[in-house]
Amino acid sequence: MCSVHDTVEFEKRGIPAAVIITEAFARAATFQFCSKGMEGHPYIELPHPISNLTAGQIREVTLRQVEALARQLTA
Amino acid sequence: MEIKGFIDPTFSAVQAKVPPARRPASLAGKVIGLLDNTKEGADIILQTIGDALVERYGAARAVIRKKEMFSKVAAPEIINEMAGEVQIAVAALGG
Amino acid sequence: MDEFEFFLEKQWSDGFPVVTPTEERVARMLAGTRAEPDQALGDIPPAMGPATVRTVAIHAVMAGCKPEYLPILLGAIPLLLRPELNLNAVQGTMGSAAPLLIVNGPYAKQVGLNGGNGCFGPGFRANASIGRAIRLMLTNLGSGIPGIGSSTVFASPLRYTACLTENMELSPWESLAVARGYAPDANVITCAMVDPPRYGFDDFSTEPGRLLTGIADSMSALNMMNMSVPRCAMVVAMCPTQARICAQAGMGRAAVVERLRELAGRPVRELRRGGTWRTERAEKLNIDFHNEDLFVPAIKHPDDLHLIVAGGLGPITAVLPGWGGGSIAVHGEYEV
Repeated sequence: MCSVHDTVEFEKRGIPAAVIITEAFARAATFQFCSKGMEGHPYIELPHPISNLTAGQIREVTLRQVEALARQLTA
Repeated sequence: MEIKGFIDPTFSAVQAKVPPARRPASLAGKVIGLLDNTKEGADIILQTIGDALVERYGAARAVIRKKEMFSKVAAPEIINEMAGEVQIAVAALGG
Repeated sequence: MDEFEFFLEKQWSDGFPVVTPTEERVARMLAGTRAEPDQALGDIPPAMGPATVRTVAIHAVMAGCKPEYLPILLGAIPLLLRPELNLNAVQGTMGSAAPLLIVNGPYAKQVGLNGGNGCFGPGFRANASIGRAIRLMLTNLGSGIPGIGSSTVFASPLRYTACLTENMELSPWESLAVARGYAPDANVITCAMVDPPRYGFDDFSTEPGRLLTGIADSMSALNMMNMSVPRCAMVVAMCPTQARICAQAGMGRAAVVERLRELAGRPVRELRRGGTWRTERAEKLNIDFHNEDLFVPAIKHPDDLHLIVAGGLGPITAVLPGWGGGSIAVHGEYEV
């Protein structure tokens, strides 16, 4: 999936990058990172689906992951 | 490679390892690049992240870029352009 | 080591036994082409395993192909890798689309591809093995495997195999390829990412108006991605009987395609009742979400409806919806 590709491209350019996916794509994301030379690269996983949540609900589930995201992006 | 009298064509990629980019000690003062893959919800996710990183972690600001199509990789021009402007990147897949 | 067990246990197996690839069998397969075995054809996403002429031959052996099928496979790979088909995304999608190969031209008939009775089902070696060879490359070289490179919810029976030709013996029209402008003696493949056929039964209509209205209805279900996205291929496979009803009323292919495009769709009012329709979808189509009377066509672009004549005599037409994430059908000539 393409967001993993984009994340790896940023990392290659020296930019710490994170990707936020839903759980339906978790295994594909793990595979994609591995196949692009970044085995074990973490990602942020939101519950699936997102598409039928209200904007408020999407914000809520996202906010729960901000701390984990910040940890992935800092030393 | 022919083994046991037949060919095993199983492909397994041996990828050159990509070392992760060095992480900063904090996000304070950093410009955050947010890559929106245009699938439903991605923009809200990224807006939320951008706001939170600025408010809670002192990031300087967040910039959002939309991809042409969620199902395709970002054009190198978008990545290069963002890489010139941001110090941290977050990509979101909606769905 | 039981060779059948060896391959059946592979992660990329389609669940059926393969013909064990030996150097001898691969050499025989390579006799089906003049191309050099080392010639590179491209890398299959997302794992980017390389497809060379030899690699294709190995998968053709495994799938049960005859050497004379090899040119079709070698012609299909570059089409599969065209950016507009978007193979990378379809390999990973939650959806179920599979690459359907519609093979036109004299070579299709020569190798025994079936476009008549049973053409979407089992029993025809060329149909079965050519489509299967493609799938084995998508799983082995590309890692389009559920839980690995693929997030597919259901997959589909077309992901075992999906290859046919048209029923030119009974079709009242020129082939799909000729309609596109290819020469009648050109060997052409059209490839579209599609879901399995939805069959419509109509043994009552004797004129195109009513007939095409029924077919159009099955092209525009509320929860079909075709309804909600700007570009999405769709294949309509009319049986010869129903194609003739249209032809006898003076309609050629283009007229049938145009009429189906006019008929297939829903007003916004109906789309709002169920399925994926919502404001964001309307915005991407430049449609006013609140204009309830507005007719939203199922096929929004003239190049997205691919009409073929296939199947045996009978009152059935198949509609194969495409992939809504952005895949445009591709076509091209191949060398024999």
